[in-house]
Amino acid sequence: MYQPDKVEKVCKECEEKTKIVYGYNDSFFKPKLKGINFLQLGRSSMITNPITITIEFLYLVYSKIRNAYQALMKFLFPRREKIMGHNKNTQVVGNITFARKADIHVPLHNMRCELWTRSWWFSWRKLGDCTSQRDGSFVIEFDLRAARRFTNRAIQFEIHQHTHVYYKDTSVHPVYELFKTIKIPKKDIIGMQYSLHTIQLFYWEYRDDAPVPRVVIKDHDKDAPQYYAQGRQDAFIEQVTPIELTKIKHMEQLAFAPETITMESLQNDYPENLTRCIERELPGYTRSDEWMGKRMMNGMNRAYFEPDENDKDCYWVKYYGVCRYAHNEKFALPTAKMKFRLREDGLPMPIHLVLIGPINAFNKDPFQEHVFTSDDGDDWQHAKRVFRVNGSFTTELDEHFTGTHLNTEQYAIAAYRNLRLNPIATLLQPHLKEVVLINHSADQLLLSEFIPNVTALTPDGINQRTRDVLGMQDWANWQPMEPLNEIHTAARAEQLFWDVLHKFVGEFIQDNLAEIRAHWFEIHRFSEDLVNHAVPVFLSDIDMSELPDEQRELAEDRFDYYSKQYCFDTTVTRETRDGELKAVSPITHSDDFDEDNADDEIARLHHACTYMIMVATYLHTWINEHQYEQLGEVLYSCGGLRFGDKERGVIAPESDLSISPGLARASQGLWFGNILSRTEYGFITANNENDVNPKLIEMLLEKEEEFKALNVDVHSIESRTNI
Amino acid sequence: MKPEKKFSMYRVFINWLKSTWDKFYLWFFCRFFTFFIAIALGLRGIRMSHNNGIAGKGRLKIVDDLDLPNNDFFKPGHEFNIRVRHASATFLDDAMKVIRSCSIKFSDHHFNSPFDIQLNSGNFGVFWSAISFWKFASSRAEKWGVDWVKYNHDYPQGSKGAQLGVRRHATSFHNVRYYSQSPYLFITTEGIKYYCKYKVRPFEDVAETGIDPNPSVIDACNQRILPHETRGRNFLKDEYEDRINREGAKYRLQIQIRMASDDEDPEIFNNMTPWDEERFPWKELAEFEVSEVLDWDESCRTTFSLKHMPKSLGIIPAKSVYDYNSMNYMRANTEFARKVRLFAYRVFGPPKPIPDDDNRNVT
Repeated sequence: MYQPDKVEKVCKECEEKTKIVYGYNDSFFKPKLKGINFLQLGRSSMITNPITITIEFLYLVYSKIRNAYQALMKFLFPRREKIMGHNKNTQVVGNITFARKADIHVPLHNMRCELWTRSWWFSWRKLGDCTSQRDGSFVIEFDLRAARRFTNRAIQFEIHQHTHVYYKDTSVHPVYELFKTIKIPKKDIIGMQYSLHTIQLFYWEYRDDAPVPRVVIKDHDKDAPQYYAQGRQDAFIEQVTPIELTKIKHMEQLAFAPETITMESLQNDYPENLTRCIERELPGYTRSDEWMGKRMMNGMNRAYFEPDENDKDCYWVKYYGVCRYAHNEKFALPTAKMKFRLREDGLPMPIHLVLIGPINAFNKDPFQEHVFTSDDGDDWQHAKRVFRVNGSFTTELDEHFTGTHLNTEQYAIAAYRNLRLNPIATLLQPHLKEVVLINHSADQLLLSEFIPNVTALTPDGINQRTRDVLGMQDWANWQPMEPLNEIHTAARAEQLFWDVLHKFVGEFIQDNLAEIRAHWFEIHRFSEDLVNHAVPVFLSDIDMSELPDEQRELAEDRFDYYSKQYCFDTTVTRETRDGELKAVSPITHSDDFDEDNADDEIARLHHACTYMIMVATYLHTWINEHQYEQLGEVLYSCGGLRFGDKERGVIAPESDLSISPGLARASQGLWFGNILSRTEYGFITANNENDVNPKLIEMLLEKEEEFKALNVDVHSIESRTNI
Repeated sequence: MKPEKKFSMYRVFINWLKSTWDKFYLWFFCRFFTFFIAIALGLRGIRMSHNNGIAGKGRLKIVDDLDLPNNDFFKPGHEFNIRVRHASATFLDDAMKVIRSCSIKFSDHHFNSPFDIQLNSGNFGVFWSAISFWKFASSRAEKWGVDWVKYNHDYPQGSKGAQLGVRRHATSFHNVRYYSQSPYLFITTEGIKYYCKYKVRPFEDVAETGIDPNPSVIDACNQRILPHETRGRNFLKDEYEDRINREGAKYRLQIQIRMASDDEDPEIFNNMTPWDEERFPWKELAEFEVSEVLDWDESCRTTFSLKHMPKSLGIIPAKSVYDYNSMNYMRANTEFARKVRLFAYRVFGPPKPIPDDDNRNVT
């Protein structure tokens, strides 16, 4: 048995010791990763050759000169807002719509349109501006004579998009960037109206080939709806380069000198994580029941404990396996249900585990049950490992990727497509930024290359599963996890953050109420896009009566557990669109603010906004920053266990390397864990991009000590989902 | 309210310079255009647009109960010999979807007269200034009856004018309503300035024919005859000749009038903006009847000019090529091209009559 005081001390010390710090010193002639978008599972694009580094350096010098030149031009020929001419007798008219085939009749409202001309000596002259109407039409009125002046060289129509905001002192400044330019020959401007007809913009388009709401990114460097901030790129490159070098070293070793690498040496090449640190001081502790209880309660998993109907003080944690999803025959992913009993001090202790589904390569019955209890000695330990691995995988794919990344993306797309003049854009955009970019990277790297090679699910299976789990995510009546007791710090911290956020959003809405109401139709369009593109509620598109009994019971059990785990209120009346019962509830139902139900309208907006920010910031950060603790030791936990070639299958000791991932996949897994946990950027309190509302920072700092008491460092909470 | 700019002699000078330049440019532009038309078309004996027409002659009488301010020209009960010419714009095929016109000359002479007026079907123009006319003329790109694709695409009002002005399958030139669209001066005997617009309609209250019941942006450029068309290339002219020989054609000339003011909104001069008919109702100006059709040669020779107007009814001075009044200024200043055309007739003879063959959709 372990001395509680010593355990406490060691755990604290190891938490401090393995806490992620940013200490890579970049210098010239050192290898460097090219950028976030150049990550590869095998070998990322690194700049290693000194000649290439020199050329890269020269290119950087060139771009600095070019940027300086552009800045000089901007200084010499500023774009002044003063509008030329007095007699607004001519108009440029047109209509802006989305360009996706299914969206060509969907208008783009409130886009800023400007008409500029340049003189022969390059100075800019503004002729007029406007914002597009609800139907996407725009009319820029301008002075014909001012446009046709012989000193003018060319006329151009510009559409500017609202990209982001930044705060200076306490005031917010929207930033507009040029999105599209259309040249108009000066000689074609002859008075009355000049029509540009329908301008179709590829602007935050929904993908047609994805089962969940995703944005189209044609080229992440040149043709994306958004780009990473330079600071985010730099932070990433700085952190990832040494990890990437380690992975490359392993790949080279495995290719050319496999005798020089073992699981242990591979593990030692990566930074030490929490479990390995504790294991060094307290051997066996991280495999103990007590540790499992701690991690399930307050670790990365922050599992949902479902009360046992018959046994007071007992709870179930369930991780569903392959279910009906497309899967391979190499990896085990049985459904794992573990029963916990609360100890006197409130810590849940595992007592009983049921594994449903294949645990070896021979018996493929998907509903075979294997029961283990704490009295089963070694098998209990081995079964706990299966539970741990399933828990890690499920937490990563269901809670992290689907629950935060994909969930946030659906709000981000709808928000960027529709919120421009409404102050809610200012509230949400800093938190919904960049998620579509990292999700785009995840498509190839994580969902196509990594997960199908280290877990039981195939790419199709992953798509099916993420669609189902997203079908249990909704803002309506969502509440943070209910704490089981005092030591359930993860739930208490979640509650505390929700309270801060709820208060902040409430005050923001009250401060901007008039403008929010004035531009309410943006909220309606936002809500409509959200609902129309949402996935169906889990199981709502399946005829349950056609399922075999066992499948139906499993599906119902999942629905029941998920609805509690994700706080999905099944009593809410949801809308059916195109024959699908949509998972996301509408925020409002009309273009105009409903004065008769003003309180309800505001309450729904308040709750929905709080939820979006909560998911994109706190919920994402929680799993993200605890990943390396849980997945930084391959034999402790990983993405998936192989069946191996023995009858016992996955109920085997850690020393049986035939069931753990191969060395290449192990290295890649550790590489992933490091990347996800170590490259965070855009913390709320650090406010790296000056886009976080200072009031939110102030409110969080006021609660810093309370968070600290719950083992949460407010300075490590990210303002967005960007890794 | 403070003035937008401070007064200074420098500003006065600059503005004077600008306006002088504008006027010079307008003058030059129109001279250049006239010269171009004279060389390119006049010498070949071709009108600028309305080549496909028929002219007749008759009598016009200013109504006795004239409800207008006193004017030196329009005197109640006064009578004139007149020539009237109806035409279809641009194409030599009456069955096409084209604008129809009516021109009146207050004399029985092919050129000289105290007052000419030119009117077109539709209360809405296709172009609105000298510069827009140039754009219109230079962007025709006609192919077998389809034309002005870019113009219609770029200028919604131009397209609207084309859709509303055309009269396909009018049963007669006689029942179409014709509008001057652009306003003219109307100065009273006392010297008070008014602006006016003219309209011609059949004397009897018969329905207008040829209006497109379902105008469309998509089809605005397509002026071709309909598939399976049975009407001939000259069916309207033939009908008009038969009508004159049978019963004559009687019309009313109407006028809309509004008093000028010193801070006029330029939009009132815009031929794309009809005046409100409730505020400025159409008043009876004259009645006229065409009783005899002129032969083809005389019909070709009969020409109309906005220069032929008394001082009290002239065109409104234009300030620049962008000015809405520059339309009429340009029309009035193309007399040289007409004279060159008449000269070409004397040398080479007038063009041949349009044959009733199956060479359709042609200019």
